[in-house]
Amino acid sequence: MEGKSEELEGEMEVEAYRRLFPLQFYERHLSDSVRPDARPLNKARPTSIVPAPLPSADASAMVKIGNTTMLSGIKLEIMFPSSDSPDEGCIAIDFHMPPICSPMVRPGRPAEAAPVISQQLNNVIMSSKLIDLKELSIASGKAAWMVYLEIYCLDADGALFDAALLSAVAAIAHLEIPPVCLNEEGRVVSSQGQAETNTDNNGNTNNSNTEKRKLTLGSIPFSLTCLLHKQYLLVDPTDEEESIMPSLLTVVLDTSGHLISLYKPGGPVLAYTSTTKNCVALATRRVKELEKILKEALSEMDVIEN
Amino acid sequence: MEYVSPEGLRLDGRRPLEMRQINAEIGVVVKADGSAVFEMGNTKVIAAVYGPREVQNRSQQLSDQALVRCEYSMANFSTGDRLRRPKGDRRSSEISLVIRQTMEACILTHLMPRSQIDIYVQVLQADGGTRSACINAATLALADAGIPMRDLITSCSAGYLVNTPLLDLNYVEDSAGGPDLTVGILAKMDKVTLLQMDAKLPMHIFEKVMQVAMEGCRAVAQYIREVLLENTKELEYRRGL
Repeated sequence: MEGKSEELEGEMEVEAYRRLFPLQFYERHLSDSVRPDARPLNKARPTSIVPAPLPSADASAMVKIGNTTMLSGIKLEIMFPSSDSPDEGCIAIDFHMPPICSPMVRPGRPAEAAPVISQQLNNVIMSSKLIDLKELSIASGKAAWMVYLEIYCLDADGALFDAALLSAVAAIAHLEIPPVCLNEEGRVVSSQGQAETNTDNNGNTNNSNTEKRKLTLGSIPFSLTCLLHKQYLLVDPTDEEESIMPSLLTVVLDTSGHLISLYKPGGPVLAYTSTTKNCVALATRRVKELEKILKEALSEMDVIEN
Repeated sequence: MEYVSPEGLRLDGRRPLEMRQINAEIGVVVKADGSAVFEMGNTKVIAAVYGPREVQNRSQQLSDQALVRCEYSMANFSTGDRLRRPKGDRRSSEISLVIRQTMEACILTHLMPRSQIDIYVQVLQADGGTRSACINAATLALADAGIPMRDLITSCSAGYLVNTPLLDLNYVEDSAGGPDLTVGILAKMDKVTLLQMDAKLPMHIFEKVMQVAMEGCRAVAQYIREVLLENTKELEYRRGL
């Protein structure tokens, strides 16, 4: 009986200690190169991609990194291309953090991180040239596809950008453009099953499309967020870790090993060159893991459809 | 469009008094105190409950009961055409109010004075009956959060097309212009807490449609009970009891 009450007391103290002195709690773990959830410092949480969870969207993907859950959906719309790029479509990327994802987000008080991550995603996806906008054109100067990519955070538990980027990329990789062409009245109609060569009045050949086609992707960007604390480098932080150790560094690499983005938004800890190099090395490893996971998820999606 | 064929089949192959497939899962959002995903056919809704927690706005604090707040929003990709204003528009505000008042009726708010309970509902895919799916998801999420309630609130919709009462309308049937009735009941006590209908109906037909909707609610309640029981068994198993 006595032993049990002592045990409980011991348990209570640890939890209280964790809440009252979070930094010391973590440092005791870090000195043994481990984190409270028994992960080594350079290991990311289990990552999984759920293929096409929403049949009504034109493409969708749900990504879970540990508890962080992101759901992305794509909707296609027809638009009038702008005059300075008449044979290019457009992508609009938006990131939302609805109040369900975290106790810190409330209806009147939107999350601080949401527009930041939204902008980051825009920068990374556009600059990595993942999509060739010319593939989104239907008829030069007349009609093009507008891709609305919306990413919703359903559970915010740290490393939001990594999960958001992965889910955006998974959705884009899965997107199939329906076959359309411009008819005589200038309206866009579905051309499924029609003859291949299709020239309109001006003699411009429309994109020969008789069945749904996937976009040809450039090299795919993957990211890794690390926390910097004194001399430690923590990979893939949870929300608790991010709140007590605010200096983070995000590295985005693509599958061909090019560095796409390096993001360190201030923070009390400085990143020396060696730290940055370490991060990039860890990110390179992570890219291989993520590439494999993405490939498996895509082949699963194909199996489901066929 | 033939909403009910001569053989008695609806557009999606269901019989007039047949509900769509329902599927529910609890505890999907780890950060939330309680959460649930509820699917009715193609309508997919996720609800998260945060609370009881400290009141955000001190001036709204109630000294003798808990403050219940609710926000309903739809994902931009949830409907056929992309939504331009997923929340803050009139429909979302109205549904938020409806869900809040419906759930307030069953939460034992006097047990948690000076606190706030937030119910957030996000529609991921909309195919008719979103109001009902939201209420069902909210009930599950509240149960998952361990918030004391009088009873389970379940909801279902029904309509009347081609002289036939139809249970659980999907989007196409809903937009047909016939009457659309949404009912929310306290499952065990069999009392009605939510009743909304648009369009004209003679009284005797209204009673029929109402009965059909209540039956639907009872079926949903049965399913919700099973899901909660399954969840409790799993919790017991994990605790080693």
